Amino acid sequence: MFKLLTASMLLLPTTLFAAVGPEDFSVSYSFKLIPALIVLGTFVLYLLIGLFSRATSPSDYWVAGRGIGPIGNGAAIASDWMSAASFMGVAGLLYLRGWFGLGYILGWTGGYVLLLCLFAAPLRRFGKFTIAEFLGDRYDSHGVRLVTATVTIIIAVTYAVAQFKGMGLVCGWVFGIDYKHSVLFAAGITVIYLLFSGMTGVTRNQQLQYVILITAFAVPLWFLIRNAGGSGLFPPLEYGSILSGLMEGKVSPSAGGQLLGEELAGLRQLFLPWGSGGDIYSFLALVFTLMVGTAGLPHILVRFYTVQSENVARSSVVWGLFFIGLLYWASPVYAVIGRYWNPLGGQSVADMIILSAPEQAQLGPIFLGYLAAGALAAGISTVAALLMAAASAVAHDWYSTVLHPGCSEKEQLVIGRVFTVVVCVFVVVIALNPPALIAQIVAMAFAVAGATIFPALVLAIWDSGSNRYGALAGMIWGLSMTLVAMVGWMARIPLFAEGGLLSATSSALVITPLALLINIAVSRLTSDKVSEACLDHSDIILRRLHRLPERVNVAKID
Amino acid sequence: MSERVTINLFRPQGERLRQEVAVIRIVLFLWALIAFGLPLFIWLCGLGDPQGFGASWLTRMRIFGGFPLHYWLIAQGGTIAFVLLCKLYTELLARALRKIERPWHAEAGQGGDDV
Repeated sequence: MFKLLTASMLLLPTTLFAAVGPEDFSVSYSFKLIPALIVLGTFVLYLLIGLFSRATSPSDYWVAGRGIGPIGNGAAIASDWMSAASFMGVAGLLYLRGWFGLGYILGWTGGYVLLLCLFAAPLRRFGKFTIAEFLGDRYDSHGVRLVTATVTIIIAVTYAVAQFKGMGLVCGWVFGIDYKHSVLFAAGITVIYLLFSGMTGVTRNQQLQYVILITAFAVPLWFLIRNAGGSGLFPPLEYGSILSGLMEGKVSPSAGGQLLGEELAGLRQLFLPWGSGGDIYSFLALVFTLMVGTAGLPHILVRFYTVQSENVARSSVVWGLFFIGLLYWASPVYAVIGRYWNPLGGQSVADMIILSAPEQAQLGPIFLGYLAAGALAAGISTVAALLMAAASAVAHDWYSTVLHPGCSEKEQLVIGRVFTVVVCVFVVVIALNPPALIAQIVAMAFAVAGATIFPALVLAIWDSGSNRYGALAGMIWGLSMTLVAMVGWMARIPLFAEGGLLSATSSALVITPLALLINIAVSRLTSDKVSEACLDHSDIILRRLHRLPERVNVAKID
Repeated sequence: MSERVTINLFRPQGERLRQEVAVIRIVLFLWALIAFGLPLFIWLCGLGDPQGFGASWLTRMRIFGGFPLHYWLIAQGGTIAFVLLCKLYTELLARALRKIERPWHAEAGQGGDDV
C-alpha cells in the first residue's frame, strides 16, 4: 500500500484549485421577522404531524410499517435525498466551479440506475430492517454486521455534519445569530423533532417536506429569471441565454453590466470544461464516486424495505429519480443567476448563493422566508433519516443482535433514542468547524459508502462465492482508505486534496474496484475455511434474493 | 457444492436469472455510455484548445435558446437519460418476466409478487 501511495504521489496532477480559504458565515446580520415566522411555522407543523403519528412498535419506528406506494416512496426517497447538499451545496459548487460542478449532478442522478439494476428488488425480497442486518445475514457473520453498522454511523455523521452546516447558515441568516449558536439551535430543533416522531412521523413528514422544499426551491426561480431578463415560462429552459451571456461577460446592471479584460476571461473560463481547475480524471473520479456512493448509501437503501412489493420498489426508484431530477434542473439556475448578480464572488458566498442571489435580486421577504424554510426542510428530513439509520445500526445491529440478544423491544427503542442524541452532539461538535464546502463534505460520505457498502452489497447479491472473510477484508480496506483520504484532505496533503489522485471526495474510482477485487480474491482463498452450516445459511438467503426455489423442491438449478 | 445455488453476474444460471441479467447488461451499458462516455467525448473534443480549458465546437454551439451544448448535455441531458434508463429497466424486465413461465409464483409472504 505504501508503494502505491508513493507511486501515486509522483503521478499527482498539478491542478490544485480552490484552496480551502476562510469562509464567511455571516451573510447579512439581522433578525428577519417574516422569514422567521415562516420557518417556525413549518417546524411546528412537522412537530404536530409527528405527534399525531407516533411510533408504537419498533417496526413502526424503524421502517414505517411497510404500507407505502411507489409515488409516496419515490417522494420519500427524493426528500431523504434532497439534503442541504442538494438544496444549497450543489448550487454553491456550480457557482464556484462552473461546468465542473455539474459532475455532482451527473453522479448523484446516475447512481440510481446502478441502485435500481443491482439492488432494489433483491433488497425488497430480503425484507428486513437494516443494511447491516442484510450483510450480516448474507455473510452469516457478526463481524460483517458490526463493521457495516460502524460504516453506517460514520456515513451518517459525515453527512449530517454537512446538513448542520447548511442549517446553521440558514438559521443564522434568518434569526440574525452567529454561526456557532445557529448550529446549536438547528441541532436542538432536529433532536426534538426526531424524538417526538419516530420513523412513521418522519416518513409522513418527508412527503410534506418534499412538497415544501421543491416548491421553495422552484417558485422563486420564476421571479429570479424575470428579474434577470427572462420571460419566466419555465426557468430551467430559460437560463441558457443568461449563461451564454455570462460567457461573453454580460452581467446584471448593478454589477456593471459588462465585464471586460481579465474579469471577462475569468468568467468565460469558469464555464468551460476545465477552466476552473479540474481535469478529466478528477471529473470521472468524482462522478464514479458519487454513483457508487448513491448505490451504497444506507439511509436510501433502507427505503426499499418499506414498500409493499418489489414492483413498488422498482417503480419507486423511477419516481424518486424523477423528483430528484427536477431539483437538479433548478440548481444550475441558482448558480447562473448568482453569477449574474454577483459575478466575482468566491468560496465565501458559495454555500449561501441560494439565499444571497434572491436577496440581491430583491425578492420579497415571504419568498426568502419560504426558501429558508425549504432549505431547513431539506436539512431536517435528511438528518432525520440519517440519525434514524445510525440509531438503528446501534440499537438493532450492535445491541439487540450482537451485544444483548433477546432484549425487549422497549429497550431497543430507548437505546435508539439515547444514541440519536449522542450522535447529534458529536455531529454538532464537528459542524462547528466544517472542513469543506457542504457538497464536498457530503461527497466524502459518498466515498465511504461507495468503497465499503457498495462492493460488499454487489458481491453479496451477485456472487455466491463471496464469503465473510472476503467481505470483511474488502470493507476494512475500503473504510480505512477512505478515512485516510478524509484525514489527508483536512491535513491538506495534495494526494488527498481537491484534484488529487485519491481526493477525499472522489477516491472511490481507485478504491472501490480494489475493494471488489480484494473481496473476490480473499473469498476464493478462504473458500475451504467456511463451515457447511454457514454456506447453507448464505444459500437460503441467496435463493430468497433471487427468488429461486428452495432446496427441497429442486435439487439443482438449470 | 452442486446442491447450493451458484450466482454469478457474469454467468447467470437458470432462465429467470439469465433474462434479468440480460436486461441489467443492456441498461448498465447505456448507463456507462452516458456517465463516462459523455464527459470523455467532451474531453476529446476539447483537446485542441491551446489554453487547455477544453473549448471546442461543443462549447461554442448554442441550443434551446442559448445553452452551450457541453453544459446542457451534462446539466439536463444526463438527468433525462438516467430517468429514461430507469424506466427502460422496469419495462424490459417486465417484458422479460412476462415471457418466461412462473413456476414459483405462489411463494408466500416475501413480497414475491410477479410482474
